[in-house]
Amino acid sequence: MEKAPDQRTQLNSVEKVAELLTSAYPESNYIPFIETSSDNVEDKGPGIGNESRTITQPYYWLDNDDNNSDTPTAYWNSSYEAIAAANAALEAINTHNFGNAALPYKGEALLARAYAHFMLVNLFSKVYDPATSNDSPGIPYMTDPEKVVVGQYSRGTVASVYASIEKDLLEGLPLIKNSSYRVQKYHFTVAAANAFAARFYLFKKNYEKVIEYASAVSPGNSFATILRPWNTRYNTYTLDEMYVYFTQASEPSTLLLIETASSWARTRTPRYGYGQVINNEVFTTNVTGARWCYKSAYYGQPHYSMLKWNEYFVKTSPNATIGFPYTIVPVLTADETLLNRAEAYAALGQNALALADLNTYCSTRILNYSPTTHAVTLAKIAAFYGTTDPKAGLIATVLDFKKKEFTQEGLRWFDILRYKLPVEHKIFAVNGSFKTITLSAEDPRKLFQLPSQVTLSGVAQNPR
Amino acid sequence: MYKIYIEILCTHRRYIPKLLLMMKLITVVLLASLMQVSAASFGQLVTLKEKNVTLEKVFKEIRRQSGYDVLLSTNKIKTSTTLNVDFNNSTIEEVMSKIVSGGDLHYAIEDKTILITLKEKSVFDKMLSYFANVKVTGKVRDKNGVVLPGVSVREKGVANAVSTSGNGDFTISVKEGATLVFSYIGYKTLEIEVGTKTTINVTLEEDAAQLKEVNVVSTGYQDLNKKLFTGAATSLKASDVKRDGITDVSRMLEGRVAGVSVQNVSGTFGAAPKIRVRGATSISGDNKPLWVVDGIILEDVVNISNEQLSTGDPSTLVGSSVAGLNPDDIESFNILKDAAATAQYGARAMNGVVIITTKKGRNTDGKPVFSYTGNFSSYMKPSYSNFDILNSADQMNVYLEMQNKGWLNHSSSSRSANGGVFTKMYNQMYIYDPVTGTYALRNDAQSQKQFLQRYADSNTDWFDILFKQSFMQEHSLSVSSGTQKSKFYASTSYLQDNGWTVGDNVKRFTGNVRGNFDISDKLSLELITQGSIRDQRAPGTLGRNGNPVYGTYDRDFDINPFSYALNTSRTLTAYDANGNREFFTQNYAPFNILNELENNTLELNLIDFKVQGGLKYKITKDLKYAFDGAYRYAKTSQEHKITENSNMAQAYRAGISPNDATIRGNNKFLYRNPDDPNALPVSVLPYGGFYKTNDDNIVNYYVRNSLEYDKTFNEDHLVNFFATQEMRYIDRQNKVFDGYGYQYDKGGVPFIDPNIVKSNVESGFNYYSMGYRYERYLNYSLRAAYSYKGKYSINATGRYDGSNLLGESPTARWLPTWNVSGAWNIDTEKFMQGERVKKIVNRATLRATYGLVASMGSATNSSLVLQSMGTRRPYLGEKETKLYISGLENSELTFEKLNELNVGLDLGLFNEKLTLTVDAYKRNSFDLIGAFRNGGIGGEAVKFANYADMKSDGIEASLGAKVLKATDFNWSTQLIFGFNKNKITNLKNQPSIFGLIGADGGPLEGYAQRGLFSLDFQGLDPKNGSPRFINDKGEVSGDVYLQSDVVKYLKYEGPIDPKYTGGFSNTFKYKDFTLSALVTFAAGNKVRLSPSFKTSYTDLDAMPKAFLSRWEMQGDELKTNVPSILDVLEAQAFGSNYAYNNYNYSTERVADGGFVRMKQIILSYNIPAKYTKKLGLTNSSISAVGNNLFLIYSDKKLNGQDPEFFGSGGVALPIPRQFTLSLKVGF
Repeated sequence: MEKAPDQRTQLNSVEKVAELLTSAYPESNYIPFIETSSDNVEDKGPGIGNESRTITQPYYWLDNDDNNSDTPTAYWNSSYEAIAAANAALEAINTHNFGNAALPYKGEALLARAYAHFMLVNLFSKVYDPATSNDSPGIPYMTDPEKVVVGQYSRGTVASVYASIEKDLLEGLPLIKNSSYRVQKYHFTVAAANAFAARFYLFKKNYEKVIEYASAVSPGNSFATILRPWNTRYNTYTLDEMYVYFTQASEPSTLLLIETASSWARTRTPRYGYGQVINNEVFTTNVTGARWCYKSAYYGQPHYSMLKWNEYFVKTSPNATIGFPYTIVPVLTADETLLNRAEAYAALGQNALALADLNTYCSTRILNYSPTTHAVTLAKIAAFYGTTDPKAGLIATVLDFKKKEFTQEGLRWFDILRYKLPVEHKIFAVNGSFKTITLSAEDPRKLFQLPSQVTLSGVAQNPR
Repeated sequence: MYKIYIEILCTHRRYIPKLLLMMKLITVVLLASLMQVSAASFGQLVTLKEKNVTLEKVFKEIRRQSGYDVLLSTNKIKTSTTLNVDFNNSTIEEVMSKIVSGGDLHYAIEDKTILITLKEKSVFDKMLSYFANVKVTGKVRDKNGVVLPGVSVREKGVANAVSTSGNGDFTISVKEGATLVFSYIGYKTLEIEVGTKTTINVTLEEDAAQLKEVNVVSTGYQDLNKKLFTGAATSLKASDVKRDGITDVSRMLEGRVAGVSVQNVSGTFGAAPKIRVRGATSISGDNKPLWVVDGIILEDVVNISNEQLSTGDPSTLVGSSVAGLNPDDIESFNILKDAAATAQYGARAMNGVVIITTKKGRNTDGKPVFSYTGNFSSYMKPSYSNFDILNSADQMNVYLEMQNKGWLNHSSSSRSANGGVFTKMYNQMYIYDPVTGTYALRNDAQSQKQFLQRYADSNTDWFDILFKQSFMQEHSLSVSSGTQKSKFYASTSYLQDNGWTVGDNVKRFTGNVRGNFDISDKLSLELITQGSIRDQRAPGTLGRNGNPVYGTYDRDFDINPFSYALNTSRTLTAYDANGNREFFTQNYAPFNILNELENNTLELNLIDFKVQGGLKYKITKDLKYAFDGAYRYAKTSQEHKITENSNMAQAYRAGISPNDATIRGNNKFLYRNPDDPNALPVSVLPYGGFYKTNDDNIVNYYVRNSLEYDKTFNEDHLVNFFATQEMRYIDRQNKVFDGYGYQYDKGGVPFIDPNIVKSNVESGFNYYSMGYRYERYLNYSLRAAYSYKGKYSINATGRYDGSNLLGESPTARWLPTWNVSGAWNIDTEKFMQGERVKKIVNRATLRATYGLVASMGSATNSSLVLQSMGTRRPYLGEKETKLYISGLENSELTFEKLNELNVGLDLGLFNEKLTLTVDAYKRNSFDLIGAFRNGGIGGEAVKFANYADMKSDGIEASLGAKVLKATDFNWSTQLIFGFNKNKITNLKNQPSIFGLIGADGGPLEGYAQRGLFSLDFQGLDPKNGSPRFINDKGEVSGDVYLQSDVVKYLKYEGPIDPKYTGGFSNTFKYKDFTLSALVTFAAGNKVRLSPSFKTSYTDLDAMPKAFLSRWEMQGDELKTNVPSILDVLEAQAFGSNYAYNNYNYSTERVADGGFVRMKQIILSYNIPAKYTKKLGLTNSSISAVGNNLFLIYSDKKLNGQDPEFFGSGGVALPIPRQFTLSLKVGF
């Protein structure tokens, strides 16, 4: 009678704990809804491109009521799935006497748990602001496996969620060991953990810590060697090569990759997306006086693409023509970490260090980069962004760089949240006229909506 | 089973005097004899000497001389009798002695009266007279020569009766000239005049009409006195429901049992019908009844779900273990329906229980009794006249119109993936003959017309080409032999079916040995060995995929002959003008169905072996212990052989050699190396074909101990206690292996291209897999039954079930179930004893039960369920194996449960001329496993949990009548009727539209267990004749997102399972001829018509005649609902709008599922004994049987589609019309 009905496995070895932790990352994609909610997209006009619900609804900042992939609900569900895997692993480590061999995995589990909660709290709760008490509702912070059909939970506050994340992060980070992973880029390596810590403290506006952890990502400050080589290697790639290599683990810039069930890689011709206007913006002359040497192509104008996404199609059977599309997403990169550090330096008034980081960044993105002609200076910033405040200017530069660098990667949304930026979306009519809809700075729609079934667990949805 | 237990007849009746007067006389005689001594002392003397004097005168003289009156109280002598007397002063005593001497007379003197009476016999005298009678001995057998114990042998008209012994022997003394009456339950009563014979051996004939009078009910655990049984059950004798020529015993229940529905979703050998006892009880779990053979639960080798049954997948052929039983071995069925009947099965009982009892050896005095059955069947070919398919001329006209609309033109048709006549025509224009300098076909209108003409005229009959008037033979030989203490039954059977289609055939062997041994009066032993072997061939097939994107069900390389004939254009020809096989194009490779059926085959082998033993020990007269154990071992293997000459293998290299850049770019079976973005697609199967195997094995142990106490107290109180403990152990194994590059034609050497393994690993597919499933069950149950005078019975059962299926949690796995029930035999009451009442109602029983039964749900996560998988990452170097949580621990997991209330009435009217059984029930299913959408915070947004509820109720009735009963002619009839409806009352799943509109329907709260839903058709678009519906957004549009979970705009059609089912059978007997006919019917369900509409068509497609009335120009939308054929530009504009596919799932494409079917007609002739004896046979009969003859009624919209059959391709074939000649011989 004690025999399991199938060949399910017991979590009774370090190896199995390690394999379970491969599931501890949210296998869902946030890009489709946060990128489309941001100001990095445009309406290409009626009748141009697809109007699938997963893209149209976030453009209008409408709540999506289904749980298909690429929706906030799907991200919510898979984040908690990842958390459940981390919690199951932690429970196994606590109940079995695995000894020191399990410690790196305890570290990974804590970091994975912290990461998933961090993404959830930023997407579904109010942004953290050290100037306030952060007592608005957070998201349930799960530390134990659920063992009943419907558990009862509390959202806590943004502050309490951040405190829990910080606790897990600080406890887990020292335990991480790169050699414990088979495929490092899909796990929290030391670099990835530090990059995540840098991002966490940036959101928390604890800038010293940002600098500390960001610097740990590239010991010896050799960021230049691990940034995306836009002006060298990428520049020589064919289009096919470009979108194969961008998300490969061999890219030095990627710090953490997650395979996500997402049709984002095939969302090449949406009506609301990366179009002519944004493409022009990306390729216009920037603060350096040159243009970014990104690679952009189109699937029939005005459907532009940075060729970042390569779909992995999981067929339902070997001969099938149908299946599930997957998109590999680099969720943490060296490029973001460097810009996060630059922002931290700027926020602390360490302008020279900020400029140094920005110029390291530019050196990989301008064709035939020359420090003498292309270097970013405070003067150039003041002229380009029309501000004499070096801090504001430097931060404007960072945000501008990030907006363009992470086109079609979604990270712009977090800057909109952190700096409480309003977003305007134009809606074009057939005759070319348009109306503008606005997401104001403190708009409640900046918080994505929790799935309606959370009320079963005693959890309230966001106000609308 | 029926024959062994009978009521003990009362043979010692007392002689009750008829006349009161005579009793008084006896009193007088009694007094007289007491006075006899005293009378002797009187001393009166009589003197009389005379010859030939009458008694009357003698008496007068005595009175005159002595004053004594003489009274004669017997007619044994008359007063006119004369005698010679010579008395001289003789005393009265002397005179009287003289008078009564020589007869059985006796005299007594009282006062002054002498009474002459018959003499009371002494014991010795009685014995003497006994031996003076005729002593008759003999043996009673049935027609098979099996001795019958317990037969009542009675002397007619006299209180004199005996029973036959265990050897069937009897001895009885009767008067000369007596008549013996032999009677036995289930047999016709026989009267034989003794005459001068002293040995009378008789053979009793069975009497089908008496069948109902079974007074033992088999529950699979025990054989219970019927007086103590209170449940709803139907017993069937196999010989009465046997359908000669039907190989699957489960189909014998069709139309025979009220409340049991049998749906023939596929007619292929081995594919189980969909059987429901009282409808469905579970939403996500099993709804199949439990099969119990000789007391042991019969496990299926592969557990086939409800939906899988209709997919046509190869595993459906091994799903039914019942297919391994020889129909001739079956003695009886007993179908347990309500909670009282199934109570002993506790947590396995929710779906009803079918108990099969196989034949046992009988006492034949050691003489072997053989029985042979031979069935010779032929399946009728289907015919286009029954279906609604365009002939080749009409079809060609549609193609020509398509050509005008831009389809089938040169550029799109040549080198297309799939193409018929047009593709062939355009391709021929490229075939250049360097010798003659010409092309195979000139590119001009005249040549084209000529080319097409041959095909327009072809009118190919695919049914004729692919189907055969097949021949199936079935031989079964059994022998029964035994003595009083040892009995054997052995049988073997062989079945060979040459196949209805050119792609299938089957052979089956069965063997069965059963021995019963009475070691002592207390100990008996039973041993059973059963085995079967099956060899079957079917068209090669891959699994079916539901495609919610387009709204279709896909099966790659489907070569199911039935589907092919229905879906392939009749313009195509199987042979060219020279008589060679003609190939068209599929998957860019040459295709001919006959070639493919030879080169793409599925071979199925099955070995099933069971040994079983039972031991019974009588501890005391009333207390019995029994042990039963069984071991079963079954191996099934499917070999899918796809040779290098098959279309499927060639599709994997189309476009490579000869190199064709267009095909190479488009062929989905070629491999694109993800590591080399700039490389051309290559073949991963440059040589050879495929060799795929799929093995399913089962090992099953069963052990049971039981204790039964059965006693009757003071003749009035019947008590039965039954306690049992049972253990079941089942291990199932599944192995799948895909071999690549096997060269069938080159010595069987594989050529493996490493890329095929690489491509599979990259896509996340395994080329082999193996897995185990384990089931362990332990349970204890107790049943107590009590009956008072056979008038009132009550029954209570409790069972405690344990199973590992819910997971490792020790708390979730146990479940108690219980049941109470009662029966009231109204006919035993005083008020029913009146002569008049008895004439009308001779039997009446009212039953009622309430109880809880359960079933194992589909969820197994009472503990955390971790499964392993490969990560879904594109590059080999980045893949790793991972564990994932496939089910969080659910500490609240439990069994699925059902509370049932059943009330039943059994009536026998007009001395059993009319019998009626009616049952009504109400069932509440609860704790059903359902998909439960939750907030996802625990990490599983859709959980399978025990929360769903379903209600069902129904009525079932069976009415039997002996309409006519004359000496030579009998007519009996039986009507079976069942009604069941169910409704899901609580289910919070979120099905997609596609999950509800398919032929299998889907579950949704507020509707039937499986409801069929449709897109609400809103007429044709006046612009282009495309269909429109209310879509998932509530708008009128052709574009419906089938994966949407907004289902509120769908229209509910009805349940997919029939609400009403039943059968009507009639049997006519005239002398030795029997004619019987069975009609089955079902109603109240809806069926989806086969999909036949698409956005675009190729020149391979066959179209239904409905296309002739399609939308062709604006305004037609007012006249027709058949959508147009789009032109190329319009079709392109449709893009991802699958309006035409959606039309297949609309309210327009639904028909009523009700039907009335002439299921079977049998004409049989019992060859009279005078002929059979000459051949040395004890009996023989010959029958002509027609099965599945025709539909008396079905919805016209079906246009030839069988309302029961799901045309899903694969290995599924409809049930054929079949004629059988059946021969039965006993010797």
